[in-house]
Amino acid sequence: MLLVQILVNGVLLGGLYGLMGLGMALVWGVLNVVNLAHGALIMLGGYLTYYLFTGLGIDPFVALPIAALGMFVIGYCLQRFILNLIVRSAMLNTLLITFGLSVVITYLAQLLFSADFRTINPTYSGANFAVAGITIPVVSLAAFVIAFVLAGAVWWLLNEMTIGRAIRATAQNLTAARLYGVDPRNIYALTFGIGAALAGVAGGLFGILTHLTPYVGATLTAKSFVIAIIGGLSNPFKVILGGIVIGVAEQLASLYLGPTYIDVISFGLLVVVLVVRPARSLRAA
Amino acid sequence: MKTSALLATVAFALAASGGTATAADNVVKLGASVQLTGTNANTGRYYQDAYRLTVDKINDAGGIKIGDKTYKLQLDILDNQSDVNLSVRQYVQLLKSDNVDFLLGPFASNFALNDSSVAEKYQVPMVQGGGASGQIYSRGYKYIFGTLPPADDYFASTIDMLGKVDPTPKTVALVAADDSFDVSVAEGTRKHIKDAGMKLVLDKQFRDGGGEFSSILSQIKSSDVDAVLWTGHETDALNFIRQAKSLNVNPKDFYSFTVGVPTADFRQALGKDANYAFGMTSWLPNESLKDKWFGDAKSFADAYQKKYGYAPDYHAASGAADVETFAYALEKAGSTKPDAVRDAIAKSDFDSLYAHVKYGENGQIDLPQIVVQIQDGKLVPVYTDHMLNKPQYPIPAWGKR
Repeated sequence: MLLVQILVNGVLLGGLYGLMGLGMALVWGVLNVVNLAHGALIMLGGYLTYYLFTGLGIDPFVALPIAALGMFVIGYCLQRFILNLIVRSAMLNTLLITFGLSVVITYLAQLLFSADFRTINPTYSGANFAVAGITIPVVSLAAFVIAFVLAGAVWWLLNEMTIGRAIRATAQNLTAARLYGVDPRNIYALTFGIGAALAGVAGGLFGILTHLTPYVGATLTAKSFVIAIIGGLSNPFKVILGGIVIGVAEQLASLYLGPTYIDVISFGLLVVVLVVRPARSLRAA
Repeated sequence: MKTSALLATVAFALAASGGTATAADNVVKLGASVQLTGTNANTGRYYQDAYRLTVDKINDAGGIKIGDKTYKLQLDILDNQSDVNLSVRQYVQLLKSDNVDFLLGPFASNFALNDSSVAEKYQVPMVQGGGASGQIYSRGYKYIFGTLPPADDYFASTIDMLGKVDPTPKTVALVAADDSFDVSVAEGTRKHIKDAGMKLVLDKQFRDGGGEFSSILSQIKSSDVDAVLWTGHETDALNFIRQAKSLNVNPKDFYSFTVGVPTADFRQALGKDANYAFGMTSWLPNESLKDKWFGDAKSFADAYQKKYGYAPDYHAASGAADVETFAYALEKAGSTKPDAVRDAIAKSDFDSLYAHVKYGENGQIDLPQIVVQIQDGKLVPVYTDHMLNKPQYPIPAWGKR
């Protein structure tokens, strides 16, 4: 029974992890930018949801799409006016600039929101129900469902919509895409904006499930990075699956080895994946 | 790149030492490296704010008399960005290029553990109110003093109380973070549990700052323990309680946390879910704690709240006592020589807003922890060596609150 509960915990946690990785994988796959500010964007999305909830009294789950929209605008502007300047240059430059962005965003957040920790705490945040003796937290389940819905939305956008085709075309062959009238500056900004919007939703859910401080970003970036690599960059559903693999592995490690080994396991998995199938996992990049 | 960084550092150090060589007369400079940004900033600010408030108060009252001269205190605070390595470098910088006379401490045991080695190396006394771990004092250092009581005994009064409530818990789960403070707490607590005749059925360590407890909580649920003793830092305590609720994990009678519970921020972040949580504090703002500069602990708390807009907890009071330790010791030593002041600190014996300050042989103060509980959103002192107020015990299950 304990093992089943632990597995359920891991799978549900993995849904949120996958959602965190989704935006990172999208931006990485299309723009070839490893966005080291991704965790900082998740944090910002969390604070947006927090203030929509505590300031305006909007239910956090209603606030999520508003926060996503806000984050889309922020992401679009970041790419359009800053990242586009260096997006086709060496990868080191994009690493440097996104790292710089994460530092700037983190410290701006401390100035604006203070270092106090916050929680998004609606009355139902601790709600749960039991199925055959297994406790299912409602918000974790909702996060899990939202992760799959958004993965489906990203898949549909990339494969079925004109704009999605333009995004994929730009990633595959910039010159050919241009010849067909695609404006890469706009496409890049749109893609980054969508990545930021996904980060925003993940941040809101993260704030409901755990806590927010301006500093949560760094570890979330690392986690998203691992998940994006394990899930691969080509298929949104595989990213969610990558998140679930990490979630379950962490929970099992916590049960059998002790909670201090959680990070060893997730980064150990990363190393194993890179050794076993380096070409496959990075092909899309 | 390494060489150029080194050259830059040397150049900077030379420039800095040249610039500050002519420090004003009649000023005693106290230096500290504190967490003003980064993951510990939330607690680090208590130290900066308490140091400032106390130094200002002492200076406003005319400063301190050393020999026949009057001195003012001056503060030099650096931000260590919650990075231990940076904090060690900053303490070296404070002594070697900023020319501070004495050292105040950072927040948290793992910082104090490392930073105190700088004090020892340069033989300049450091009085710190942020680290409680016994490791800090177990190395025979002569220049480190501390105003937080030993981490080993944090749960002593709690376990003592558990022997006097009905029903007395028989089985206990201990959940501890893996940093220096919590390792010390866990070591001491295992002994206290054994001495009290309780059974430790689950003993789990987690990564400090990890914030993910669903596996531990599920194990607590399946082992059906009577009491949970939890030690770590605030955000982890917060996550533990939130996840306990969402996984519907109810220790049968009791849970208690070494940190968080006395802090206003913590109660605000958790709202109603904070109720019933037990915790501990070495300090409460009582009028019975008399102080030379502030009058009493309550006036200190009021002045602090007024100036900074948030209530002080034991971290702040402990920090204030550190500054006062220097004030008393400097007057008593009649000199600003580090060795003379060090010896005077060792002989400290004064009442303050924080506690009666008297350091043990190893440099650490010894104080009882007051058991506190959050009852209807309010912090209520419950037990020291006798009941102060009636505890809400046993803690009701989540569904019955």
